Amino acid sequence: MSKLFKVFLVGLLSVLLMTACGSDDTSTEDTSTDDSTTEDTSADTGDDKEAVTLTFWEFGNTGYDVLIEEYMEANSHVTIELQNMDMNDLHDNLFTSLSAGSGAPDVAMVEVNQLERYRDAEDRFHNLMDFGAADVEGNFLDWVWRTGENADGSFMFGLPTDIGPTVMYYRTDVFEEAGFDPSPEAVGELIQTWDDFERVAQEIYAETGKIMTDGAELVFNARRDQAPEHFFNTEDELIVEEHDHIRNAYDYTVSLIEQDLIGNIQLWTPEWFAGMDEGTYATLLGPAWMQGVIKDNAEAGVWSITTLPEGAGNWGGSYLTVPAESDYPEEAYAFIEWMTAPEQQLKSFLDYGLFPSAPAVYEDPEFLDYSDEFFGGIKTAQVFSEAAEAVIPVYKGKGYYTVNDALQEAISNVNAGADPDEQWNQALEQAESALARQ
Amino acid sequence: MKKSLDEKKKTARTAYFFISPFFILYAVFGLFPMLFSFYLAFFKWNGLSDMTFVGMENFNFIFSDPIFYEAIKNTFIIGLLGTAPQIIVGILLAFALNSTLIRFRNVFRTMIFLPYVTSIVAVAIIFGVIFSNQEAGFINYILSYFGIDSINWNIQNWPVKITISIMVFWRWVGYNTIIFLAGMQSIPNALYEAAKIDGATVWQQIRLITIPMLKPTITFVVFTATIGALQLFTEPLVFLGRNLRQEGITMVAYLWKDAFVFNAFGTASAAAIVLFFIIIIITGINILLTNRIDQTKKAR
Repeated sequence: MSKLFKVFLVGLLSVLLMTACGSDDTSTEDTSTDDSTTEDTSADTGDDKEAVTLTFWEFGNTGYDVLIEEYMEANSHVTIELQNMDMNDLHDNLFTSLSAGSGAPDVAMVEVNQLERYRDAEDRFHNLMDFGAADVEGNFLDWVWRTGENADGSFMFGLPTDIGPTVMYYRTDVFEEAGFDPSPEAVGELIQTWDDFERVAQEIYAETGKIMTDGAELVFNARRDQAPEHFFNTEDELIVEEHDHIRNAYDYTVSLIEQDLIGNIQLWTPEWFAGMDEGTYATLLGPAWMQGVIKDNAEAGVWSITTLPEGAGNWGGSYLTVPAESDYPEEAYAFIEWMTAPEQQLKSFLDYGLFPSAPAVYEDPEFLDYSDEFFGGIKTAQVFSEAAEAVIPVYKGKGYYTVNDALQEAISNVNAGADPDEQWNQALEQAESALARQ
Repeated sequence: MKKSLDEKKKTARTAYFFISPFFILYAVFGLFPMLFSFYLAFFKWNGLSDMTFVGMENFNFIFSDPIFYEAIKNTFIIGLLGTAPQIIVGILLAFALNSTLIRFRNVFRTMIFLPYVTSIVAVAIIFGVIFSNQEAGFINYILSYFGIDSINWNIQNWPVKITISIMVFWRWVGYNTIIFLAGMQSIPNALYEAAKIDGATVWQQIRLITIPMLKPTITFVVFTATIGALQLFTEPLVFLGRNLRQEGITMVAYLWKDAFVFNAFGTASAAAIVLFFIIIIITGINILLTNRIDQTKKAR
């Protein structure tokens, strides 16, 4: 019996040992190649650097595997193990790992919205300020940088990768049918304010019977993102009713719904994709990365791009963070600093359409000349960079999506016929109840 | 004497050793989380911050939340709408598959069971298309022929409940049919033959032979279906999305949303405990009823 137990224990231990060794005995290659485009910031290690393996969690279709190859060639003591996951899975796994205090990677890509979930957990991340992140602050757009910081700017969660500045995609054929000049300049001129947007919506509806845009969600988002204050102040107090901006966005959206000028098509549904191709709706208020979605679902030449009325917002984009569990924070930081440098961001843009968060790229001739036949040959990169620079930095707060989801639900209820004021009050009550629990 | 006792002890120890993997895994992945959620129910915790003791506050939160009562109500309504028809249709389908009248029985059996093994995400997409809010949506289009205005299937109160119930029905009816079928195959054929000789119709055969003989199977199916209905979660989540609207939120969905959307693990645990007691009560009623059925059988 006891012998059997010993056999069992030995078996268990050997399995544990094997898995433990698995990560250690990788890559002890030559450390001779030194001509790199990067500077290694880990100064305390000498020439014969210790071999280091970093795990890196990413989501989506980033093309980072190519960049990582390049980095590993230039820094042969570093091996990076890339693990691609589904976006929601990554953030749920990361949340669990951080909560449990084990299992987190050395570098984790965190989506900008999801970053709010981790705001409370400064102690679970390395403060990138300790590794000299302040030196690269100038590389990035101010609002992007602000979002990666804590409220008083003393803690940096992650370095920004790409962003999603929002623009107005529109159907040239629908605008033409309604009797408008469909060139980007003319449409930009035509729709300068949200009142213009409403007026053009009425005219398009009268001329063609088509709706102005897919649904209420993106209209509300667009107006919300142009507000200087959203749901919380920097003390994380709910301030939705202390100012008019959000209520105005809500009322404006409701008024378009009540005039039947916008549709009831939910994002990512088959009708939404089909509408993109058939021209069911005249505009789509979306971010830079929506280009890929449109290209996958519509034929070339019918969609074009111009700026949003009264400014721009941001939807999406990510940050590279270094969880506190990482044993090699310096190497990890050096890696993410390289990854988010303007040169690499330009490559990600040209190869994968990830829109750069580094304004230096916006001056690059290769970037400026980038034009897209799909959108009628216009210089798309310029339109987006204009939008990127128009985004207003705003404090979101960790309860941001609790409040936002409640308001979005209220709007979809209004779209189905509910009373707007009642829904507004109910949404805020629900949000407050949820916030009190956290 | 002493030696044989040692022997006995040894055998017992070996036996415990062999069954230990289950208990170890159960303790780690089953028992500990359960006990921990009892503990957590009295704390405020967002998963990353420190836990703070709040006493009964979490229970106050959920008991003063109208959506919590909505969730309980929804669970029972959807449970009833989704499972009661399953039992009736399941018995009828099983009877048809069991009869000698149908050819290609194995093909039909497989086809009826298929929904159960279908990926739930694929199911959600298909149902999303069929029950689309648009006027051109499949069901709305059919309804328009009858002069019915288009329905917002995933927003309006009853349409949400009905759609989720249909998803549950569609996914589980085949599973229960197979169980009924297994039960029916243990009914001796002689009973049917005798009935036929006496001139019983098909309907009389079902009513007087199949259903009485199926009683233990029906009890089993009602048991599992009740527990399944109380734990209903995936269908509302995939149909309504992470926001889980109050028209279709179920009890498990409610506590999941608290935990993983709001990061409020304390109130989520409190809701889990309330659910725990509700399940105990329902199971108690279930056991009481089945015992009574057994007793009446014996009395006869």
